[in-house]
Amino acid sequence: MDRSCGMWAKGLALGFALLLCGADVALAAEKIVIGAMYPMTGRAGRYGIDSVSAAEIAMNEINAKGGVNGRMIDIIFNDSKANPAYSIKVAKRYITEDKVNFLMGVVSSAVGLAVTEVSKENKVIFVGTDHASTALTTEKFQPYYFRVSNNTYQSAAAAALYAKDKKDWKKYYVIGPDYEYGHRTWEDFWMLLGKKRTDVQLVGQAWPKLFEPDYTPYITAILNAKPDVLVTTFWGGDTVAFIKQALPYKLFDKMKFYNYDAGGNYELLEAMPTGLPGGLVLSARHHLNWPDTKLNKEFVDNFKAKTGRYPSYAAEGAYAGVYFIAEGVRQAGTAEDPDKLVAVMEKLKFKLPEDPEGFMSYMRPIDHQIVQVQAIGETVPDKSFPPATMMLGNWKVFKAEDIIPSVEEIEAARKAVKK
Amino acid sequence: MAPSARQGAEGARAIRERAGNTLDSSLIVAQFISGLTSAMTLFLVASGLTLIFGVVNVFNFAHGSFYLLGAYFAYQVVAVSGVGFWAGVLLASLGAGAAGVLMEYFFLRRIYGRSGEAGFQILLTYSFILILDDVVKMIWGTDYKSISKPEALAGPLSVGEVTMPRYDLVVIAIGLAVAVGMWAAIRKTRFGRNLRAISSNREMASSLGVNVPLTLSLVFGLATALGGLSGAIAAPVRTVTPGAGIEVIIGSLIVVVIGGLGNFWGALVGALVIGEVTAFGILFLPQWAILFSYAVMALVLVFRPEGLLMKKGNAR
Repeated sequence: MDRSCGMWAKGLALGFALLLCGADVALAAEKIVIGAMYPMTGRAGRYGIDSVSAAEIAMNEINAKGGVNGRMIDIIFNDSKANPAYSIKVAKRYITEDKVNFLMGVVSSAVGLAVTEVSKENKVIFVGTDHASTALTTEKFQPYYFRVSNNTYQSAAAAALYAKDKKDWKKYYVIGPDYEYGHRTWEDFWMLLGKKRTDVQLVGQAWPKLFEPDYTPYITAILNAKPDVLVTTFWGGDTVAFIKQALPYKLFDKMKFYNYDAGGNYELLEAMPTGLPGGLVLSARHHLNWPDTKLNKEFVDNFKAKTGRYPSYAAEGAYAGVYFIAEGVRQAGTAEDPDKLVAVMEKLKFKLPEDPEGFMSYMRPIDHQIVQVQAIGETVPDKSFPPATMMLGNWKVFKAEDIIPSVEEIEAARKAVKK
Repeated sequence: MAPSARQGAEGARAIRERAGNTLDSSLIVAQFISGLTSAMTLFLVASGLTLIFGVVNVFNFAHGSFYLLGAYFAYQVVAVSGVGFWAGVLLASLGAGAAGVLMEYFFLRRIYGRSGEAGFQILLTYSFILILDDVVKMIWGTDYKSISKPEALAGPLSVGEVTMPRYDLVVIAIGLAVAVGMWAAIRKTRFGRNLRAISSNREMASSLGVNVPLTLSLVFGLATALGGLSGAIAAPVRTVTPGAGIEVIIGSLIVVVIGGLGNFWGALVGALVIGEVTAFGILFLPQWAILFSYAVMALVLVFRPEGLLMKKGNAR
């Protein structure tokens, strides 16, 4: 209830801000303005709401220390409605009317692909914070786009390295939502694993529709195929529903459950305070309890203090986005010269909550994709983040350089599209 | 990586192998039971949808939202207030029914008989999907909610080689009980007689002394309570999240189209057909699973557009 009231208040505040902005022009010129777009409704609403809170935390931290080169950061938020056509309108309005210096946000890759076109046309830098489609940094790459969270290729590559060493994982079954994300997350993994292991086979696959409420008939079919490992590329509530329905069939005693891109998101651990089995192999773009660093603890605690809940992984992406912009502006000494900013930002190196000791996330000039360490864990009993009673543990950590596509691969991918 | 993804797809295809389906009888029984469970959850929503259409003559797009309300009410009563599970399910259905009566009384009633009623109905009931979704989000937030099943029903029941979730068996029993109860209510009670009279001729029923507005409100309440019941019993096994209503309304729509819009038994037959066709489709061709229910609907629309259980030329 509180949260929604907060949203209403924000909406009203935004309305007033728009009314008053005529009088505010002199001030606005000195601020660094970020136009952010996040979904506030539907299944992805949680990610949007968490992203907004985390972006505000980052903004307040930076402004409390005097801003960037003496300039304050100001973020305008708008609902992307997870709709590409609508988001294009919002992005254009941000650029022409609000005169934003940067675009940021977006949970859906479809929206990301739409907004990156606006960014390219108008030469306004677009910082992607959560959407994961690899296309944005390869085939559809344009120089004013940057992504500060990892893409599906990176998690699939880490997953393939993890699976490579599991000698008894031979028979695979895959089930995932029937759209680009579900298929791509699987195919990247399977292709990479196939290069390392010749003794693995796919014994079955199923592609129910996104948000399918009832997986029972799939579960009996999966049991019948007797795989060693069940790979799922579900996210959010679909993972929750699948696990709930598979439990009485004792599916988790009969095979390993593997969801390496979004399965380890806190929203899943939180949604199943009772009944979540141990030993599920999961990962996500950010974890509350890994790495065990001061920065990560502070990020999680500040988020909890501000919102009363723990963040889903989208939050850390938005937090990273604001810091990335701030650091870029600080080093470039401008927020108005996009080409100068690009030259600085594509070589940025900066410390994030998800970076383990001794590592800093960095941007790669070839694809403007952030390079980060990836950790995959198993569910173990852990009550440190209630209401969850299971968290990830038994971590395996994969070096950032081992899970990115090579420069040659990226160039080949781009050439293939141009033809 | 475009090329590597393409290689991936090819690699996947090369290694792709048909699941070694050894079709023993226990598997067929297990699959039949899981199809039956899906069918019953669908039936509870679809029966209400078809009842409202048959009697009130409204296509209630928002019907899935009462499923959603049922699920959240059950969460509130069972997980938050700590009331017992079955009492919670009952209260949740009553709550959804009460919400349905309110919606009928304050909104739908005002557009009966207007010219171009269908257009108003669609706009009004569709807007209720959005309104109820937002109400749910304001009250309960966007995170996923969970209810535990009653302890005794949490595990599986093994009969010979067949393993089936106990809870699913209860869901099937509830569905069948509702079907029989509804049949008795429609055929054997005074309320049922009024309801059938209104369904065949509203003015005539009214002039014969049937309290039409009251009956319509009650029908709406009953139907939405069934939707709520479906949501409440699905809450322990599905995702309780805003937007869940839209997902069930599509399945229910397919069911009523197959069975015949406005036909109560049609909803049962349609749900059984969809549940079992989907279950066995998945067993044989899992990668084409989504196709089956739509294919059945398309076939029915082509060869028997009035629905399986409707007589030709008979509206309901």
